[in-house]
Amino acid sequence: MSGMEQRLVSEAARRTLEFETRRHFLKQSATGLGAAWLASQTAGATSIGGTPITAKAKRVIFLHMIGAPSQLELFDHKPALEKVDGKDCPAEYLEGSQFAFIQGTPKMLGPRYPFGQHGDCGAWVSDRLPHFSKVVDKVCFVKSMQTDQFNHGPAQLMVHCGQARVGYPSIGSWVTWGLGSDNEDLPGFIVLLSGGRQPRVGKALWSSGFLPSVYQGVQCRSKGDPVLNVSNPQGVSRDQRRMALDTLDRLNQMNYETFGDPETLTRMKQYELAFRMQTAVPDAMDISQETKQTHEEYGTEPGKESFANNCLLARRLAERGVRFIQLFDWGWDSHGTNEGESLGKGLSRKCEQVDRPMTALLRDLERRGMLEDTLVIWSGEFGRTSMAENRGGQKTRFHGRDHNPNAFTLWMAGGGIQPGMTYGATDELGYQIAESPVHLRDFHATLQHLLGIDHRKMVFPFQGLDQKLTGVKPARVVEEILA
Amino acid sequence: MLCCWLGLGLQAHAGDNAVPPVDFNRDVRPIFNQHCVACHGGVKQAGGLSFVYSDSVLDLIDPGSWEDSYLLERVLLPVDDDEHMPPIEHGRALNEAEIDVLKRWIDGGGEWGKHWAYVVPELGELPESETDDWSRTRTDRFVLEKMNQHGLSPQVEAAPEKWLRRASLDLTGLPPTPDQVDGFLALVRRDGEDAYRAATEDLLASPAFGERWASVWLDVIRYADSRGLGLDGRRTIWQFRDWVIRAFNDDMPYDAFTVRQLAGDLLPDRTLDDLLATACHRTTQTNEEGGTDDETFRTEAVMDRVNTTWQAWQGLSFGCVQCHSHPYDPIEHKEYYEFLAFFNNTADSDLGNDLPTLAVPADPDQYDLAFQLDQQADALWRAEWQLARELIKDDQNWKPISDLQLSTNNNTRVVAETVDGTEEYQTTGTVQTKTRVHINARIDDSIDQISALRFTGFPKDQQQALIDSEWGFIVSHLTAKLVATDGTETAIEFQKVISDEPDPLLDPDESLNAKSSRGFGPYSRIHHPRTAAFLADPPVAVQPGDRLDVEIVFNDVELGAFPLIAHRGRISLSNSAGFTDWLTDPARVAARDQIAELRGQRSKIRSISTPILLERYPDFARPSRVFDRGNQMTKTDPVDPAIPKFLAPSSGEASAAESESSLTRLDMARWLVSPENPLTARVAVNRFWAQLFGTGIVETQEDFGIAGAPPTHPELLDDLAVRFRTEMGWSVKTLLRELVLSATYRQSGQADPQRLQADPSGQWLSRGPRDRLPAETIRDQALFIAGLLSEKRFGPPVHPPLPEGVWKPFQGGDKWATVGKDHPDRYRRTIYTYTKRTIPYPMMASFDAPSREFCSVRRLPSNTPIQALMTLNDATFVEAAEAFADRMIAAGDDIQAQLRYGFRLATCRVPEDAEADAISELYHSVLKLEDGEKPDVHAAMTTVASVLLNLDEVLTK
Repeated sequence: MSGMEQRLVSEAARRTLEFETRRHFLKQSATGLGAAWLASQTAGATSIGGTPITAKAKRVIFLHMIGAPSQLELFDHKPALEKVDGKDCPAEYLEGSQFAFIQGTPKMLGPRYPFGQHGDCGAWVSDRLPHFSKVVDKVCFVKSMQTDQFNHGPAQLMVHCGQARVGYPSIGSWVTWGLGSDNEDLPGFIVLLSGGRQPRVGKALWSSGFLPSVYQGVQCRSKGDPVLNVSNPQGVSRDQRRMALDTLDRLNQMNYETFGDPETLTRMKQYELAFRMQTAVPDAMDISQETKQTHEEYGTEPGKESFANNCLLARRLAERGVRFIQLFDWGWDSHGTNEGESLGKGLSRKCEQVDRPMTALLRDLERRGMLEDTLVIWSGEFGRTSMAENRGGQKTRFHGRDHNPNAFTLWMAGGGIQPGMTYGATDELGYQIAESPVHLRDFHATLQHLLGIDHRKMVFPFQGLDQKLTGVKPARVVEEILA
Repeated sequence: MLCCWLGLGLQAHAGDNAVPPVDFNRDVRPIFNQHCVACHGGVKQAGGLSFVYSDSVLDLIDPGSWEDSYLLERVLLPVDDDEHMPPIEHGRALNEAEIDVLKRWIDGGGEWGKHWAYVVPELGELPESETDDWSRTRTDRFVLEKMNQHGLSPQVEAAPEKWLRRASLDLTGLPPTPDQVDGFLALVRRDGEDAYRAATEDLLASPAFGERWASVWLDVIRYADSRGLGLDGRRTIWQFRDWVIRAFNDDMPYDAFTVRQLAGDLLPDRTLDDLLATACHRTTQTNEEGGTDDETFRTEAVMDRVNTTWQAWQGLSFGCVQCHSHPYDPIEHKEYYEFLAFFNNTADSDLGNDLPTLAVPADPDQYDLAFQLDQQADALWRAEWQLARELIKDDQNWKPISDLQLSTNNNTRVVAETVDGTEEYQTTGTVQTKTRVHINARIDDSIDQISALRFTGFPKDQQQALIDSEWGFIVSHLTAKLVATDGTETAIEFQKVISDEPDPLLDPDESLNAKSSRGFGPYSRIHHPRTAAFLADPPVAVQPGDRLDVEIVFNDVELGAFPLIAHRGRISLSNSAGFTDWLTDPARVAARDQIAELRGQRSKIRSISTPILLERYPDFARPSRVFDRGNQMTKTDPVDPAIPKFLAPSSGEASAAESESSLTRLDMARWLVSPENPLTARVAVNRFWAQLFGTGIVETQEDFGIAGAPPTHPELLDDLAVRFRTEMGWSVKTLLRELVLSATYRQSGQADPQRLQADPSGQWLSRGPRDRLPAETIRDQALFIAGLLSEKRFGPPVHPPLPEGVWKPFQGGDKWATVGKDHPDRYRRTIYTYTKRTIPYPMMASFDAPSREFCSVRRLPSNTPIQALMTLNDATFVEAAEAFADRMIAAGDDIQAQLRYGFRLATCRVPEDAEADAISELYHSVLKLEDGEKPDVHAAMTTVASVLLNLDEVLTK
């Protein structure tokens, strides 16, 4: 189908779709609206070739370390950087570079922690992640990640929405729009936060953008109502609510008989679904049902807001068929301006908080046979510089690194990913990509591929453009890391 | 799907004997769009050919003769010929019908037709129908014609109370009270049609009208009370929200509404209200995250202003032209930047303090007085400044210092260099924050006394800075003294700092205050060399051999990262008595005293600073350039402000405008509302229509371009657009009055199966509108029914109850302070709720309100369980249900009467028996639940109240 034809058809189809959307919420079981729509597109197509992609992953758990963890202190082993520690940064690194805080000519900063090789695959991991080091054979490291953005807000948006600006759908929205959810009583896209702060652009990271608003991420919380307003008001029992809903249903039915508006029927169903969610969500979110052994493995404490709790919740939600589970953990911005945000104690503390639970999550999923169709992703929004930060033209109080959009490390496991491998490499000082660069849009294409989606075809017409998660520049599926 | 509707257009004429003339837009353009534009479009123009532009295609045809037209030659080649168009691997060959259309089009002269929306609308030809006893307005006659064409007929008229509820909710965002319903029904019985008119007048005159309609505009103009992006801190701009409410209440004509918001600052007889209106485009996001580049995000904001202007007023997505020519509409890449140039010279620049701002009086009654004082003081100051400025500009008054001995207080390195024969200091290498540059220099022999010192800061690269500005500087403090040969020091007492622009963002005199980091300088970016003179009183006598000792303090740091330091600086000295006169002459002193007096009076008027648009001082204009493929880091050709050609006024006028000075933002705003603009009135009318009828006449309200949906009722749209601009005088109230009184609007919302079948989405208007209410109305209505809604209007944003844990702002100091149940601010209309972009109010977000980052012209309604949980369990709705229950209980002693009263409050009608039975049964069942204990009447009534507030009928208009 030609671009224009497709576009005109898609405008028409979108109109039907919007009409349809009004009577759907998470009710599409195996097929989402996006998939239904794409199918309707393909049926009339004359020139869309290729074979359908088989989905290897049914669901995604995305662990985002907000602030950008230093790859040079965790996974990207750079002995040469050690040797130039304290020396002036080479001029070629600075030409044409924009930094958030680095001024003039900064000094190079050697890795702060010793590295070792682990597992059969011999992956390098620093001593900050002793638990995780034991599961590296399940993991694929991509050491050549790149982005366009060097400030947190825009860069986080790039990771989750493929655009540096707010107003675009997040990956979870695209995926649930495309594939729907496997559980009618739970939202298909759930967001869990830890680390004490929200990401700076907040809800924009789980926004549905121009997609219908039902596909926005729903934030679930360990404290208070797990989903906003899921509890009845004080003094209202479940029986009382049932009676109220029965009457509401009766009255709405009469109203429907008068006006014949199909929207009324949908609304009646939504009230029933809401009633079921009132038990399904708290049940899914109640980790006190887990065994003592599980709590020990994850390091969880019921009732707290922690990354560990969220990892365990991620597994529980994945078990219940939630399509996209997004974790954000705040506190990885190691500039060195204070101890909490330093490569010393600050980074060590963050590593302790995530090391055990993310390891437990991989093991737990594997034990339950879920790792093979659950894609687990761990990433920041960019990397950190091989140079020490010199904010305001002076040495920072603690060891720190500035933002580096040119190179960062991401790892993935399960869901159709080749385990026990490392892909791509940075130069000897860990500042730029030396081989096999993977831009975020390539990552997005790969992620969609694993879910059985062709990133070129998953489009939504908006503002005169067939919008895609991967944007307008060419993106490629990184075939080399597929199992 | 496309083929179907293409086919329809042709089939419609199949029965006619005479072949109908080819209509380019209806018949030809779809063929181009389907078969050609993918390769020969706006973005990809294979072989330099584009089927988006007429001149490109007209080169391929010989009008009057298809046989001689190259276009047909290629199309008619055998399919397997390499030259055949379209290439077979790209799609099927044209069929006979299509080829026939092209032949007839060329033979008929090959007229290129403009896309319908780019042609100036004309009054529609009123359909004639002898049997029409239904229509009440012109609108109805167009609607009826379409209905008939689709085999539909009008639905019966809605009951009067149904119409009153619908019209009240649409016009004021609130339902009528039972008393109002009773009064209306009595009047209808007495006066018939006149009762509808009177009720409409009352609704249009209600102050609630502006609160309802401002919400719609605030989505479009992406209003928020926070700055967005990095920190999303608070922004005080609510006086603009109040401006919009007042504009709707005053029925400000849409043309004035347009011009004031886009260019109120440039109106020759501007008022304070006009300046406040320009806050419309200061609602763009700013980035206060540490380490973010002000110029990058200033540019983002300017682009957003361009895109929003096009989206809001022209219904076109201009954003894609940022990177390349428009794929479907005839807008060229360069034209984006020509249009951007209209907005590129405002003084704002992504500053965390939102400068420039206007001190807007808290009480609008004082606007005029405040503005008068401002104008008097400004005029006086400009005259004084001009006197000083003449002296400063005259190089004969100045001698540069020489033999520079330089040092700093920190790691910043400075060296002396001679550029163009003048010595200056230059920084080298890494620059540290809080740098003090110390200069010891020789004074020119001709200087016998120092009456003034002139400092000029330069960009590092003067040529390049005009294209890519550099970080600017602020002289936080400047001191100077004379050092005699024997070491004796004589301080120079500076009294006044005169900047090279009359009204800079920061007060240059702050450079004399050691405690402030603010003062003279290009804040925060530098394009041009910038100069200030420091005037001394008394002048200091210079002895032979005296040297000058200057310390310049640069203490300001932008966004925690960028030291605002002048990287190159020159100093000159003056012995001119002119400066002393300027400081001491009694006339000058009196003028300055008068200015101070006026400013003093002005400062006594309690005011709040609101960000506004102001042009930069012309001497320091930013040149505009094309961004290569939309990347602001790579700028190419310089551009001047211009209207895109496809919409520009006829060539004669355009060239007349060009021959004069360059076009301004005001010219652009006036062009939008000029009779030649084909889009503004259509887009506006369509937006108001969509609010009343659920869907626009052009369904894609955001896209009137070639890729958007065609209008369902083109003649009606044009008729309304023309009349809105002419006979209605751009009056929104006049337009809405006509629409709510139309027979179309007054139809019942009932949809029988046959209607649903023939018109599922209601686009042929064969039934009255029945849509879910907007988020604001759902909340306001619940509070209103409960008797809780406050009538307080205007003022700072309020903080109604919010579920625990939702408010986690990035900045800890940003508090959500909810007041108690006895305070009206807990129950204000939703438009007054604090709008934070990163933490949308949950009620708004779950009912499809946009989070106001960008222009949003329509809300797509969803229907979700999250909404059900909101209206059942959210604190506001729980409090509303409780208060509603109290209100019912207080209505009388008889339970049945209480219940019926509640039903009327919620629905504006009397319940049917079955409905009354249902709520009565619920009431009694809940009462019985408390077995053993005293029956809880209030709990039972609250349950009923909650059900009533959740009725589909109540959530729907």
